[in-house]
Amino acid sequence: MSKPAPDWLAAFVDSLPTRKWFQFLSNWVVVPYWHWRDPKPVLEGGPRPAPQPSENLQRMMNLVMPLRDPSPIGRARAAIVIAQNTDEIFAGLDNVGTVHNARFVLIGDYLCMLSVYDGDFSNYIRDFIVAIGSVFDAVMDLVVGGDALKPTARNVEKFIDWVHDHDLFQVPDFPTDLFALQDAAKGLGPDAPPHPLRSLSREMILQFVANPNVSLGGGYRAYPGKSAAQLRQNLGVGW
Amino acid sequence: MPDNATPSLAKRLVCALKIEGTLKEKRPVHAFGWGAKGEFLPSAVAKNYCRAFHFNLARRDDGSLVTYPVTLRFSNGSGEAKQRDSWSDVRGMAARFHDPQDDTRATDLIAMTLPEFFNATPEGFAAFAQAAKSAPCRAQTPWEKLRDMLHLIQPMPDPYPGQTRRPDEGAIRYADKDARAQLAVLQAATIGVPQSYLQASYHAVHTFRVTGFGGTNNVRFEWRPVDGVRPHDPDLTPEPGSPPVDPDDFLVPDLKNRLKNSAAGPHVRSRPMRFSLMMTIGETGDDFNDPSRPWPPRRKRVFMGMLTVNEACDTEKVSFNPGLLTDGVAASDDAILWTRIEAYRYSSEQRGGTPCPFAEGQ
Repeated sequence: MSKPAPDWLAAFVDSLPTRKWFQFLSNWVVVPYWHWRDPKPVLEGGPRPAPQPSENLQRMMNLVMPLRDPSPIGRARAAIVIAQNTDEIFAGLDNVGTVHNARFVLIGDYLCMLSVYDGDFSNYIRDFIVAIGSVFDAVMDLVVGGDALKPTARNVEKFIDWVHDHDLFQVPDFPTDLFALQDAAKGLGPDAPPHPLRSLSREMILQFVANPNVSLGGGYRAYPGKSAAQLRQNLGVGW
Repeated sequence: MPDNATPSLAKRLVCALKIEGTLKEKRPVHAFGWGAKGEFLPSAVAKNYCRAFHFNLARRDDGSLVTYPVTLRFSNGSGEAKQRDSWSDVRGMAARFHDPQDDTRATDLIAMTLPEFFNATPEGFAAFAQAAKSAPCRAQTPWEKLRDMLHLIQPMPDPYPGQTRRPDEGAIRYADKDARAQLAVLQAATIGVPQSYLQASYHAVHTFRVTGFGGTNNVRFEWRPVDGVRPHDPDLTPEPGSPPVDPDDFLVPDLKNRLKNSAAGPHVRSRPMRFSLMMTIGETGDDFNDPSRPWPPRRKRVFMGMLTVNEACDTEKVSFNPGLLTDGVAASDDAILWTRIEAYRYSSEQRGGTPCPFAEGQ
């Protein structure tokens, strides 16, 4: 039987995750090493396809667009563009008819459009372009890579792909589902063979290398399974 | 009953779960528990979804609302011989609803803090129970922990002082080979300790078929504490003036204390001792027979009523059973549910529990 480690050594190792130098080592050596050894594919953004009706209602879009000019002047320009187009945005959203709520947010170096919608993602974006395409043209002036998509009305499919690429990956509601998503992205069948359960922490860390910005879970809903149209109908305000 | 939910398998399960050296009159799991009485007030919409007696919002002749008496048992999940409240563990909440108009009628709802079960099939659960039997454990050496950290793996938690056996290592080894067990094993390993039995959510992980005015739905139930879900922080300094806390036995004293404050009258500040009963409706595409798979939070949820815990009572001899159902609530074809029904019945016989007087053989 081997001699037990002294208490001070055990206490020292236990304290490593809180020590700055170990955090530095982990972030700059350990994580890059594992990323080199086992890189994770970028996982697709937006809600995933599902047959259940409630999965196709109140879906989240977290569109995160890098600002071309993140300076205060650039941010002010973005704020003015959104403010000048409020009337068109609100009228367009009313006409799309499947949107529960939508807002623009400036955070970090990004302009974000956060919305909750019913139905298919591609059709949602298509409806948007028809309803408020000119607003998106103005927004494209503000963000990195936007020039190539203008006018959005003539680059519909390209614009849909771009939005999809900038829609945040939604971390699964149940953490162990990450294994299957990573396998699917690599073209592998789910859990064949199963992954070691304790490797989940490493898989998650490495996934955050590929998808640093994510939506954590599918979010809370006070009235799940209801469409915007049903709610407006039940509230007696119609469309 | 599904073909693979056999009484012999249920017996094997009970034997596999029972820890050697524990008292015969104790349950094989959830061995330490505490009983209470409460009352349930159904919501105004509950009877639209389920015609069961306890979901019928009715008024007495004097205009007051009818509440339904409930017998409760809160418990720690472990079947070990010694009570350890401060050890991470799944907690249980068994509820029996009584019909005040008909004392031969009652129905049970068995729930736990884990939102899913360890397997989808009885055979799988039997294999899991065998693999996850409590076994001798030790702390990882510093070198093993360092190796885990350099592999970006969270080291295993050290055993608690005095802990020589635990199921964790066996459960993880099993989950490494059976993906269906992974979510439950992961969540059970990190579930922690609630500050109070009244500050945890409890999930009845099986699907039931409920019938009401609008037809039949496949549903799952869960209790949501009005006082909020609060994990216990062992490093938290006790409030000034609070009595010394025994780390192995603080959940029941907490309940007794709350009941005492509540009974003292409105001049004594007491914490809410209530739970909302929420019912989630499954949809086409959901597996109604797989309790190892929780439903996402996007399913329709219905507020079915409010439970208030009122007073202590002894329920150690009461044999709760997830199969004690009533008109309006039926078991799904979930083979684990049917196996549990048999296992609870067999376990009750083994420990000399009081069979339920309302349902033959249960």
